[in-house]
Amino acid sequence: MFPGVDGFHWTAGHIIFLGLFFAVAATILTTVASAAWRSARDIREDRAAGLCWKSDFAELPVHDRRCRHELAGRVISRTCDNAFNCGSCGKYAQFAVLPARGDSNPSGLNYPDDRLYSRDHTWVKVEPGGTVSIGLDDFAQHVLGTPDSITLPEIGSEIELNGTAWQMKKHKQKIRVRAPIEGTVIAKGTQQDDWILKIQPRRDVKDPLTTRHLLRGPEVRGWIVREMERLQLQLQPLNTAPTLADGGTLMPNLMDSLPHADWETVLADTFLEA
Amino acid sequence: MASLTMTETHVTDSRWIARGVERISLSRFLLCLAPWFVLLVIGVYAAGLCLFYGLNQTNMDNRFAFGLWIFLDLGIIALGAGAFFTGFLVYILKRSELKPILNTAVVVGFICYSGAVSILMIDVGQPLRAWFTFWHPNTHSMLTEVTFCISCYLLVLSLEYIPILLRNRQLRKLPSFLIFEHQLHKLVPVLAAVGTLLSFFHQGSLGGLYGVLRGRPFAFRDGIFIWPSTFFLFILSAIASGPSFLMLVTATVEKVTGKRLVPPDLFRRLGLISGVLLAVYIAAKSIDTLIWMDFTSPAMGFAPWLSYMHKPFGTPILFAEIVLFGLIPAFLLTYRRTAAKRGWLLSAAAMACMGILLNRFVLTVQTLALPTLSFDEFLTYTPSWQEVASFAGVIAYGVIVYSLSYRYLPLFPAQKGDETHVSGR
Repeated sequence: MFPGVDGFHWTAGHIIFLGLFFAVAATILTTVASAAWRSARDIREDRAAGLCWKSDFAELPVHDRRCRHELAGRVISRTCDNAFNCGSCGKYAQFAVLPARGDSNPSGLNYPDDRLYSRDHTWVKVEPGGTVSIGLDDFAQHVLGTPDSITLPEIGSEIELNGTAWQMKKHKQKIRVRAPIEGTVIAKGTQQDDWILKIQPRRDVKDPLTTRHLLRGPEVRGWIVREMERLQLQLQPLNTAPTLADGGTLMPNLMDSLPHADWETVLADTFLEA
Repeated sequence: MASLTMTETHVTDSRWIARGVERISLSRFLLCLAPWFVLLVIGVYAAGLCLFYGLNQTNMDNRFAFGLWIFLDLGIIALGAGAFFTGFLVYILKRSELKPILNTAVVVGFICYSGAVSILMIDVGQPLRAWFTFWHPNTHSMLTEVTFCISCYLLVLSLEYIPILLRNRQLRKLPSFLIFEHQLHKLVPVLAAVGTLLSFFHQGSLGGLYGVLRGRPFAFRDGIFIWPSTFFLFILSAIASGPSFLMLVTATVEKVTGKRLVPPDLFRRLGLISGVLLAVYIAAKSIDTLIWMDFTSPAMGFAPWLSYMHKPFGTPILFAEIVLFGLIPAFLLTYRRTAAKRGWLLSAAAMACMGILLNRFVLTVQTLALPTLSFDEFLTYTPSWQEVASFAGVIAYGVIVYSLSYRYLPLFPAQKGDETHVSGR
């Protein structure tokens, strides 16, 4: 039928039918090629971290996606639909002016007010000179205890917001810690330091938009109270009636104390893995 | 702690299951699927016999060339139309309230079309020469257009399935997969538009066959320009039954799993869409039948009532097609009070699907059974076990693919609406 095939000759029917068919086939193939080309471009231009985070965020359970204003008691209930990117949230200004509630003590954990906190349990401290230190918050440290191993990025490497900052291993569980801020790694902490990485931020930290996505003040307290509740529910043995804990503090090195708990789920919720 | 350990021992595939969803243990899941695997193996064996020894394994012959397989093909392609129609409604008409059912529509469509293509390959035979249809196309044949459109649309459905597949909990850990999924997902509206075009034409082409079937006065139809009336009736019936079939599939999964998977209002919306389209289809079908009775059939020298003389294909089958499985479900799906009750809604959806299957049965099996020449006799046809087993194998394949998709992929994403309630202060 086609050229090269015996007896072939073009007719109007061939041209219309085959033209339409191959136009459709070309559209499909172009669509796939376009998706592949855009993907390659995103990877080349280091947009992978942001896109992966957006996709991961969409898969997070609803309780992991509560709005900061709900945590602070400014609104009764609100689910974030903007991947915690408060800098581009249209509702941020509307709710930020409302008075906050939830000033309860976060269960004896240490959350200094000079730091800003990310939902995946890292903190950011702005240092003099415009650099920042980042580290694991008290909740995550109590849960993990001492990691079996920790893999830090090389000095001079770039880390992307919500991309991988460093990786840890504990009881065969691989833990990826997301970067709370983007920039260049300028120092790595030692066991004696309370920080893990020092970063030269890519954007000016004096600009409020650079750190707007990080929690502070009453938001932190409301958030940690909920994290404690989640942890208690996840660690209680199966088939037991719900119980109300009254007081108490988080014991250190929880993973060593409860080795048979469903740590995969707990760690996924703690470090916001989809 | 003992119970926690026990759970870990049983659920060995939990790493592949999305977080926050409950699934039965792997062993129980495999046990539930075991009978379907057995059916699939028998189906593959029967299909192998047909491919190896030829169509003498079936009870079809030169006179009865449309058997169980073509009925199955026409039926599942019509029911699978929910995929393209839902995509059309969501991406082209921006009916975002149907989004919760979009993923399941794609999977159902993929299963229906891949099942239909598999059966067609057994029926046509010589699958290794399948590419001949593309390199040596007979552009005068309806089957060529159907083959081209179905092949292309199956490719489109596969591409729409890929983003769902890549959202699996383990596959998404590969950043390049996740980014490709993201980019492909952004281009899905293009695929939805192409899919709509392809589906529109191949549903129509399947119906268009009856415009050239002059040797079968019971099924032959005149029409508008080059298109017989069945061209349009096939499209209408497919888009009417597709949403009903999606409703049935989702309701069955909800029943089996004991979970509410979609917002309650969604079934009513699907029912309304299906009901209105079914009413339009039945009106068009009735007009078409009257035109056939008064003009088409007499013009070919056949009194129309002769076609209904042969039992069991009497007038009750026409009544069943138009009233019992047409008007009644259309009413039940659109009437506010009956549509508000799940039982009525699902019964009506089942009736609508049965009506479309009955229509395809009438246009394949009944059409070929009726005598057309003075020396012809009424033919009966009973499918061979190989035909039935291949048919059952396709059903089993569908159940297995859907079950695996439901277990490991986000078919029913959780509601992620902005539930803002500002305090009264």
